[in-house]
Order: sequence, then C-alpha cells, then structure tokens
Amino acid sequence: MKDNNIALEGRADLVTLQFAGRAGEYFSIWIVNLCLSIVTLGIYSAWAKVRRKRYFYGNTLLQGAAFDYLADPRTILKGRLIVVAAFIVYSIAEQLLPMAALGLIVLFLLAFPWLAVRALRFNARSSAHRAVRFGFRGGYGEMWRSVGIPAILVPFTLGLAFPWFLYRRDRFVIENSKYGATPFAFHATARDYYLASLKVFAAGLGFLAGSIATFGIGAVPLYLLVRSYAIAVMARLKWDCTALSEIRFRCEWSTGGLFKLYFVNALGLLLSLGLLVPWAAIRTARYKLEHLALYPGTAIGGFLASAEAQVAAVGEEAGELLGFDFGL
Amino acid sequence: MTVAASYYDGSSSARHLVQVDCPQPGWIRITGQGIQTQWPLSKVRIPSRIGDAARVLYFPDGSQCETRDHDGVERLLASQQKPSGWSLHRLERSLAYAGAALALTATCIWAIVVYGIPTLAKEVAFRLPPSTEKSIATDGLRALDQALLRPSTLPPDRQAALRALFADVTSDHPDKAGYRLEFRAGGPIGANALALPGSLVVLTDELVKLAQNDAEISAVLAHEAGHLRQRHALRSLLQNSAAALFVAVAIGDLTSITSLAAGLPTLLLQLKYSREFENEADESALAYLQARGIPAGHFAALITRLGAAHGAGASGIHYLSTHPAAAERAARALEKRSSRGVR
Repeated sequence: MKDNNIALEGRADLVTLQFAGRAGEYFSIWIVNLCLSIVTLGIYSAWAKVRRKRYFYGNTLLQGAAFDYLADPRTILKGRLIVVAAFIVYSIAEQLLPMAALGLIVLFLLAFPWLAVRALRFNARSSAHRAVRFGFRGGYGEMWRSVGIPAILVPFTLGLAFPWFLYRRDRFVIENSKYGATPFAFHATARDYYLASLKVFAAGLGFLAGSIATFGIGAVPLYLLVRSYAIAVMARLKWDCTALSEIRFRCEWSTGGLFKLYFVNALGLLLSLGLLVPWAAIRTARYKLEHLALYPGTAIGGFLASAEAQVAAVGEEAGELLGFDFGL
Repeated sequence: MTVAASYYDGSSSARHLVQVDCPQPGWIRITGQGIQTQWPLSKVRIPSRIGDAARVLYFPDGSQCETRDHDGVERLLASQQKPSGWSLHRLERSLAYAGAALALTATCIWAIVVYGIPTLAKEVAFRLPPSTEKSIATDGLRALDQALLRPSTLPPDRQAALRALFADVTSDHPDKAGYRLEFRAGGPIGANALALPGSLVVLTDELVKLAQNDAEISAVLAHEAGHLRQRHALRSLLQNSAAALFVAVAIGDLTSITSLAAGLPTLLLQLKYSREFENEADESALAYLQARGIPAGHFAALITRLGAAHGAGASGIHYLSTHPAAAERAARALEKRSSRGVR
C-alpha cells in the first residue's frame, strides 16, 4: 500500500456512510415479498429482489443523500428464466447423459466470464447516487485476459497464483467501474496482495493448529475467526487502494467486529430456524457500511458539486436486454 | 403545503435544496435557489414507498427529487386525490399481514414440495411415451457397466428361464412390450436389482444366488416391474429437478447466508420420495404374489436375507440406504399375508 497517509490527516476529515435500515421494518417487507414470490411460483421474485435492493440502497446515506436501485424487474426476470432453463437442461442431462452434462459444464465455464461481465454491468448501471448512475465498461475479452487466465493458472501453480488472481480480479472490477463519467482508480500492487494472502495463510495454519489442539471443539469458532480475519484484511487492502478522482476510501472492518457480526448472525439464524434472515441482513449491511468512509471531506463536496466532472454517462445502453445477477 | 427535498438535475451530482408543492390541481412544482420548474403530476413517476427508505420522485427530463419526509409526500399526493392505488407498502407495514404472509409461506412451501411437485411429475411422466426413455436407458446401463457392473456368469438357459419368469410377472402390464431384463455380476453393489429409466431391469448374479427359489426371484421382479409400471425413474428425475429448482428460486433468493441451507430440503426430499416409491413397488410385488397364490412370506424372507447380506458386507454402496428398513418391509409383507389369510 503506497501513500496511505490517513494517520496524518486525522479522523475529522472522514465521511462515513450511514445505514438507516431497521430489522423490524425489514422483516415484514421480507416476509411479504417472499410470500408473494412463493405464491407466484418464483415469478414475483424478480420484483421482490428489486424491492429488497431498493430498501437497502434507499437506506444507505452519504452526507444525507441516499443511493438508488433502478433495475427493471422484467429484465431481471428474463435473465432468471434463461438461467432456470439452463439449469433444467443441465439437471436432466446430468441424470440421463453424464457425458453431455460434462460438455455443458465446459460450455458454462466458457460462458461464465460473459455472464459475470453482464452482471457487473447490469448492477452498476442499475445503481445510482444523486441521480447519477454508476457504470461498468469492462468487456468479455478483457475479462478473459485479466481474470480468466490467472484463474486457470491457479490449479497449475498449486495455488501460488491465487493472490495474483485476486489482485487481477479486484483491479478489473474497480478500474472498469465508474461513477457518472469518472472512473475509479486502483493503486494496489500484486505484492500487496501476496503479503496480505501470506498473512491469511498464516492465520489458516493457526486455525489448523488450534483445531487439532482443541480436538476439533474449537474448529467452528476458529473458522469464523480466520474467515473474519481474511475478509477484513482483503477488504481493507481493496478499499484503501481505491480512489474516485481525488476521493479516497477508508475501510475499517476489523477481525473482532466481523467475528462478532458473523457469530451472532449464525447463532440467531440457527435458533430461529432461518426466520432471522432479515435481521442478519440488516446487521451485516449496517456493520459493513458504517465502517466504510470517504475522505477528504472537502474533496467529496467539491467533487459531487462540480457539474462538469460527473456528467452522467449518456448514450450507454440505457436498458440492458437481460439482467444477470448473482447473490444480493 | 410543501415538502422539503433534495433536487438533482440528472446530469450532475450537485445537490439543490428545494421545496415541492402543488400550486394548482394536477401539477407539481419545484422551487429552490435558481430552480423553478413544474410538471403535470401524471408525468411524474412515484414508486411505492418501501419502509422509511428515501422516497424519490422521478421527472420526465431525468431530474429527480429525493426526500425522507414520507408523511409530507403522502399528504401532498392525498391533496391531489392522485389515486395511490394498490400499494405493497400497506401490506408491508402491517404486522397482521406479515404474520399472515409468514403462515402462508410456510404452508405453501410444505404443500408444493409434498403434494404439488410429485403430482405434477406424475402427470408429466405418464404423458410421455415410454420410448422417450429409450436412449437414456442405454446410456445409463453403459455408465453402470463401466463403473460398477461386470458381465453375468449365469448360464444361458438359466437366463432364459428367468426372462420367461419376468414375462410372466409383467404379463398384465400395458407397456410390457418395451420391458427388458439384463443380467450382470453385481461386483461392489452385490445382491441387487435395479429398475432403470427406459423400462430396463438389471438383476445381479449375487441376487439370483441369494434367492432360495424362483418364487423369491419373481417377487423381486414384480417389485422392479412395479417401478417400471409406475414410471418411478422418470418421476423421481422430474421431481428432484423441480424440487431443487423451486427451493433454489424461492429460498436461494434470500441471501447468500441461506444458500447452504437451500440444498438440505431437496436432499431430504429425495430420501422421502424414494421411500414412497419403494413402498409402491412393494405393493405391486405383493399384489402379484397374491394373484399367483404365492405366499408373501417368500418376499419377506428374501428382503430379510438381503438386509443381512448388505448389513454384513457393507461395501460402499448401500442397497438399503434409500429403501425403508428391511425389517419394516418384511413385517409389512407378512402383515399383508395374515390379513389376506383371514379373508
């Protein structure tokens, strides 16, 4: 990590994201939309997804201004129908013609980068802040060169290429993302990723030793601890090396904070048989967003207020044909 | 009546503090420093409220107003008698509706998985002609031959006799013309009988040897023929795909936290479906035995011996893993016999 001079600038200049979602309120939104999704045999799930995301985006505030999710549910439905059709073809082929299923897997591996690029673009184009949309300009070929090849190399190098793959992946996503017309910048190096991965690897060895020393009893909490450590280290590295014009990011996810978050979430989900999913989602969003800050504050105001710098990207495909999306 | 909001012109991220009001019926006006526009209310897109998340009014030129003054927006719209229509927010903010949704969700998941999908799979399976499974059968057997099975060492005349027995067992089946019986050495799967898609029954040499007489073998053949007649192979294929799909769409949609749990119900389902199918096949076996006047005790005896053989020589693949417990099946077979004896 170069020129990380946050300590000199002090905390006064940090502008933290705020999250205003509430578990009780979100619970009834979640259950009503889940119920409608099931009653309509999954058709409504695209609308439910948009509503859910609008709730989270609309409650995420930067200097009092909310984020906005603008995806058209019909586009998401089309993407989902295609994925579902592919799944049906695959699961039938898997049981009837194992050889054909193998061919389908190869086909899927080839199509996956394309799907991922579409999903990144769709998600970015569907997200907005202050009426200016985010964007993504990465292409399929670049995805292969930047991320696909490192991913293929990972098994052949016995995993030694894995940190390099993570570095290329993060760089591809961040450098191709933009807010309005302004691209994000990424200044981490592969060396940073190798150092961070080494730390995570050492923690993994600690997990193995600890699990053996406690005869397996400590394996689950230790796993959560190491996982929290890995997520915190990699996220801090990624965000601290990201910039948007002269705005920098400061990620303050800590191992202890994430561990407490995940541990309490897991406990709640287990004891409630999954009913506390909305509560866990709100807690996770609150922790992750409220421990992410932008600085320096003066630059944020200036950047967002300057009319010329962030002209909304016009002419880019206004409506995606298909909405592929993974996860929340 | 005015609502305080932030105005963005849509081409830059600069924020303007404005007041929104309705100067005349059907019009919405935005007033701020250097900003003075108005739009007909019918041209303004106002998505329904979601909890207390920021509310945005989208104007036709790409500009928008953002506010968290929810009551203000509601009052403004109410004063214009803009028909707010059916709003999801009304359902979402009510505890009673949330409770009802919870109950309905649980009931629906249960009903679809336990009744809906099996019924649908059955309908579809019986509508498809048996020939649709033909190519599947060849591929399935080839895969089994490569992985597990070896050529049978039964003498040809013994095979012919058993085929004749199979023809007798299936004599009243409507699709019997397509049925096929194959012999293999079971290898790791030992004494076993399989009903494969495409009306194919595979009998292992070990099973033939384990049986003490042909009555026992006919019971096994009748059981497998029951699978063929009920189209169990195709039905479980359809059921498992549909159930996995349903669970993935309905539950997998929540968050990645629950994706782990999404696979579990389908796993349990497969177990349950198989048991139901096995019971159905047992029923056909017992019906056949009854029709031929063969004591059901033969079937019970073979099941008990199979259970013992597989329990003792556990070799990775468990014949009984998806079957009801051997003792339970034997008991049912014997029970059938005694109830018939009374008649």
